[in-house]
Amino acid sequence: MAPMRRESDTDHPEWFQKKRKSRPLIVARWVPIALVGLPVATLLAIVIYPTVWMFYHSLRDTNIQGLFMGTHSHIGFSNYADVLGSERFQDSLLHLAQYLTFGACLQVIIGTVLALTLYEFVKSNAIRTVVLIMLVIPMMLPPSIVGVLWRFLLTPSNGAVNQALLNLGLIEQHIEWFNAGISLWSIIIADSWNWVALPLLIVYSGRVSLPPAVYEAARVDGASQWKVMRRITLPMLKEVIAIAFILRFTDAFKFVDLVYIMTSGGPAQSSELPTYIAFQRGIREFAVGEAAAYAIIIFIISAVIITLFLKYMKGVMRARGFA
Amino acid sequence: MNHATGAMTAGGTERTQDAWRHVRYLFLAFLGLWIVFTVFPLYFMTITAFKSAAEANLTVPTFWPQEWQPRNFIGVFDERTNFNALVDSFVIASANTALSLFLGSLAGYAFARFPRQAGGENLAFWILSNRMFPPVAILVPMFFLFDNTPWGTDSHLSLIILYLVFNLPLATWLMMVFFRDAPVEIEEAAYLDGWTPLRAFFKVTLPLVIPGMISVAMLCWIFAWNEYLFANLFVGTAVRTYTIVIPTFTHGSQTLWNFQMAFSLLALIPPVTLFILLRRYMVRGLSLGVVKG
Repeated sequence: MAPMRRESDTDHPEWFQKKRKSRPLIVARWVPIALVGLPVATLLAIVIYPTVWMFYHSLRDTNIQGLFMGTHSHIGFSNYADVLGSERFQDSLLHLAQYLTFGACLQVIIGTVLALTLYEFVKSNAIRTVVLIMLVIPMMLPPSIVGVLWRFLLTPSNGAVNQALLNLGLIEQHIEWFNAGISLWSIIIADSWNWVALPLLIVYSGRVSLPPAVYEAARVDGASQWKVMRRITLPMLKEVIAIAFILRFTDAFKFVDLVYIMTSGGPAQSSELPTYIAFQRGIREFAVGEAAAYAIIIFIISAVIITLFLKYMKGVMRARGFA
Repeated sequence: MNHATGAMTAGGTERTQDAWRHVRYLFLAFLGLWIVFTVFPLYFMTITAFKSAAEANLTVPTFWPQEWQPRNFIGVFDERTNFNALVDSFVIASANTALSLFLGSLAGYAFARFPRQAGGENLAFWILSNRMFPPVAILVPMFFLFDNTPWGTDSHLSLIILYLVFNLPLATWLMMVFFRDAPVEIEEAAYLDGWTPLRAFFKVTLPLVIPGMISVAMLCWIFAWNEYLFANLFVGTAVRTYTIVIPTFTHGSQTLWNFQMAFSLLALIPPVTLFILLRRYMVRGLSLGVVKG
């Protein structure tokens, strides 16, 4: 038997060389299910029940008293109608749009520019590493430190930022960072300080792993640096940059802690995002019914976005041979 | 290519490269500005940690301490609760990391080796989507869910389990990517040699993914260590994570900025050290395995 086996192997030398990802190992059918079972069950237990609970209460007039006494009644979709019709919600959507444009999107663009600048124009490896580490440290901070630190730095009367800008002669008088109209910008500044490093790191590593042979060829053909950037680097980094966008966008819908710590949505609700209202109404004021309606609306919006993004990611990962 | 066009291209290249040189300084200046913007808060945080309480609250802030007070770093721990908070955070982060890694490796291995039998792509992506969903959507019921457990909300165990919401998807997904990179042929060869599946796994595949596993562990640990939103809802008197303690450094109406910043700096040491050690793997983890670091 043994010699015959060896013979058949030599007949098909590619048997060893080809990567055969599709061919599964031979195991009992229950093994994969058992392996996946425990993690999936854990997630189901801690995610599905709360989601269903939230949906149930979004259809009821639950408040803190009703919740503990068990006295709440079905009121159909009027919570949703209230939320969608309220000025507070519509304002918060505008704030979200502002945050998505100048927070999330601009962060990815700045991160991309910084990463490519660092890679193309800084030639020393040691300097690159030091700069990268410096720029990424803010990302290692928890939101409570970031919020507290920026509230401290931006204190209007004796904050460090105002004082530094005064000393440099850039402003004449203190900027009131936490007034209506500016407070959301302050949050966006703090958030950018915190998170620009994410797109930066991703794009930088993407650039590092591009094949040098392509650039060699471009150099031989005499292409200018600008052309190489536009025709080769950016197209090849398209997917990587898209992933950075995806991550920042999904984070934007989770964004609540900095708002809570820095301004508590104020003054006069001028820096509230939808997620913050859901948090405020649900956790601080226990208007569970209304908060649940907010939560479900946010949930549906992010479900749509996440589905689209995951579809895109599937394509990317297939192309790269992962899935 | 004939001679004339070759020369023209070369001339054009020279001119654009000249223009490029000026653009380069513009970009470098922007990079420099951003470095200043990034470092300034960190710098101010550090010097504030060394200031006296009075100096930290001056009307005109000083950018260099008039008098260095390194005692702040010991002074913060005069209150036992501050030290306990670091311990609580450490216990929760470490236990959660171990649990995420164990469960994540199980699922990750199944998805990598038996994609179809383990539920396929859709299940894998469903697990990942749990990480992306906004946690506010499930905060309130989470409280009641854990309030009904025998250990209650104000305990290490609740937070350890709760943090699985964001760390288990990450661990599963990344372990899937790492297991996929470990060649299946070696494992098959071990089977053919008559090894049991368990032995083949522990002796052959596991050593190949250990580096990946370590990086996943560090990443999960950092996320659990820095978590704020869930902790804010759950902590009571028995368990307080350090992220919750940081905004509470007040004395009457005055904020003790120097203590707050000193405590923050100490709490920063572990994640920053981990990052410097694992920066190679960091990118892979943060981009969910799409970008190879």
